[in-house]
Amino acid sequence: MVTTRRDFVRTVGIGAAGAALSSSWISARGREDRVWSLAEPGLTVQTPSSIIPLSSNENPMGPGRVVLDAITKAFGPAGATPGRYSGATTELRDVLAKSLGVRPDNVILGCGSTQILRTATHVFTARDKALVGTIPTYEECAGYADMLGHPVRAVSLDQNFRADLDALADAARGAGLVFYCNPNNPVATYVGARATKDFIARVNRISPETTILVDEAYFEYVTHPDHESMIPLAIEDPRIVVARTFSKAYGIAGLRLGYAVGHPDALRKMTAWDNATGTSSLNVLSLHAGIAAINQGPGFVDAERARNAAARDFTIKWFADRGMRSTESHANFIFTNIGVPARQFRDGCAAQGVRVGRDFPPFEQGWCRISIGTMDEMQRATAIFGQVLAKAGVIAA
Amino acid sequence: MSVTRRELFSRLRVGFIPDDGLPLNGLALAARGHEAESAETFRPSAIGEFGAGAQAGSAAPIKLSSNENPMGPGRAVLNAITGRFGETMRYPFNVTPGDAQLIETIAALHKAKPENVALGAGSQELLKVAVWGFTNPARHLVTATPTFENVTGTARRMGHPVVEVKVDGQFRLDLEGMLANARGAGLIFVNNPNNPTGTVHSGATISDFVERVRRISPDTVILIDEAYHEYVTDPAYESAVPLALQTPNVFVARTFSKAYGMAGMRIGYALGMRDTIRPLARLALPFNISVLGTIAAITALNDPAHMAAERDRNTQVRDFTQKALEDLGCRSTVSQTNFLFTNVGRSASAFRSACGAQGIQVGRDFPPFDGSHARISLGTMAEMQRAVAVFRNVLGSAATSGEEHARW
Repeated sequence: MVTTRRDFVRTVGIGAAGAALSSSWISARGREDRVWSLAEPGLTVQTPSSIIPLSSNENPMGPGRVVLDAITKAFGPAGATPGRYSGATTELRDVLAKSLGVRPDNVILGCGSTQILRTATHVFTARDKALVGTIPTYEECAGYADMLGHPVRAVSLDQNFRADLDALADAARGAGLVFYCNPNNPVATYVGARATKDFIARVNRISPETTILVDEAYFEYVTHPDHESMIPLAIEDPRIVVARTFSKAYGIAGLRLGYAVGHPDALRKMTAWDNATGTSSLNVLSLHAGIAAINQGPGFVDAERARNAAARDFTIKWFADRGMRSTESHANFIFTNIGVPARQFRDGCAAQGVRVGRDFPPFEQGWCRISIGTMDEMQRATAIFGQVLAKAGVIAA
Repeated sequence: MSVTRRELFSRLRVGFIPDDGLPLNGLALAARGHEAESAETFRPSAIGEFGAGAQAGSAAPIKLSSNENPMGPGRAVLNAITGRFGETMRYPFNVTPGDAQLIETIAALHKAKPENVALGAGSQELLKVAVWGFTNPARHLVTATPTFENVTGTARRMGHPVVEVKVDGQFRLDLEGMLANARGAGLIFVNNPNNPTGTVHSGATISDFVERVRRISPDTVILIDEAYHEYVTDPAYESAVPLALQTPNVFVARTFSKAYGMAGMRIGYALGMRDTIRPLARLALPFNISVLGTIAAITALNDPAHMAAERDRNTQVRDFTQKALEDLGCRSTVSQTNFLFTNVGRSASAFRSACGAQGIQVGRDFPPFDGSHARISLGTMAEMQRAVAVFRNVLGSAATSGEEHARW
């Protein structure tokens, strides 16, 4: 058994059990908190309606009736269709390609963008080809690279909590993959399209073998004037891959649907490693939900962006009025200087039925990520924030 | 630039970026061949090709090619899914019951602990990560031929050696032959019942096999794929789950794609001792089961009566179809599943084309028996009555005698 585990480690490159996982990048448990319910079982007994979930950057409104109707329709007239293997992956890929103005071979699907991020990390990093990203950022790639025993280079943010593009470009030299999450989770900041393009060109120039994975998970929420997708660059250059998800603005985090857009050569490398990417990992109800979500046109996302912006402005102002600043958010969450350890704030809020974000080192001692719920939820949540912060002595009771 | 296949595989294994222009499409396709591929093949645009020779006005094609449950998951599961619509925006760990509760439900059903369970996007994901995790260039995969090709394809794609052991004269896994190749293997794939041949080995035979493998090669992991477990009617068969829960390096894969009627939902799981399961759970995608899949699976597991009825329904259809084919001079292996492996006395592709032209889709080629045997999935009784009429047309048109057909 020992030998087997060692072999396992060797094969997939997993570092000494546990030891490699101690890097600060993923010490905060990583990802959108896989084991939330296991780690803090006290909350699972509450029904979802009794709590306000502001911990996972979900769209509190859900996907809307058109999408839910598409799921019911996917049951088929006799309710037997979920029993069939589905060919709807092709249809969703075609629908996405059409809506993005790219060819179908510029798109691959994933079981959430998680599958895209993991596959890219697997294919584009190696023991001598590091993963580079900001700290903090979304932890999936770093956690997975760490598990593979591939080096991870973390680059601090600038003073405004934006990616420090000079430092990031320097670190990219010789790297396998740059993970560039824009807007950046958990800090919510956005780098304008012009600066991003300059950055990409610079990395291409100084480190021509390096792939750049632009994670546009929160793309639909951006309200910045210089806002563009990097998809047009990606489809022309195999060194650039864009990741997208249906888990955020489209409101179907529970359905596990994401995709990558890029040059066919880059995508082929990804599917050559994980043949399940875009095929056997996706469930038929989710596929039809995704098809309907895209086919309903841009109005849904436009409305969701506006709704989120209003609730976000309200929440940021609530904190600002009490002397607590937030970063400039272009996402459906805010990153706020609450002045107490995130854990203390989180536990205090959880005791009153409000879940807020996990620790994000190196800012876990004073900053918290708070997802934006509905306006009603944010009004109720801020009242509870007030009580928790008053008790902590941060604001007057 | 010329790159051998072996070089390419070994590059892929270590995450090397292969040069542009390599025939990855072809390799990827060659590595496929799992049931989901059939779905791609038979997507609506492709069905047109099959329907081309069909009579005008004939009913929709009957799909007997992917061993699916034609009844679907049942009303209770569908209701549970729609009952979840209010939470589709939540991640699987933010709903109750969530993925953790699915793991707990599975564990409780098998008198195990959550640490003994790993979830997969279909059992295919667990098969895939088992190959990723337990084989390497120095530790080969032992599998059968014919059997479910998924593990074979994954190992080949990675450039890990594969030993395929042909089934025995009764179309059962040749466990002696597999044992003879077990020493130093990374992984042994035991599909029980075996797809596509439909046969099972008894519980005693499997546990004896496991014991003997462990004696000569204790570090070898044994994967027992029980995808068709729920359809077995042979009293000598026993699940290997209790064995896996107390034997290092053994795990069982199960799926909701077959008897549970949720192939499209992509849900499977693995059961074994903690140290065997842990690497699978780490390599499988986090949140690989949707919130709809989670509630669907929990609902299905809590309805054993529905499963018993589905087994009975399948058994009746199986008996009917097997007898009808025998009446046409075509013998089938002893099926314990929702499909038949039948000697149709001609190539599978000829049979498939002829049936396809009359609106009946049957299984793909399964070498080395693709010259004589077809795999026919079992639909509903009404579907099989229509299918048998087509089989009669197709098989009756051959100039071979019944006696010749009756050979194995």
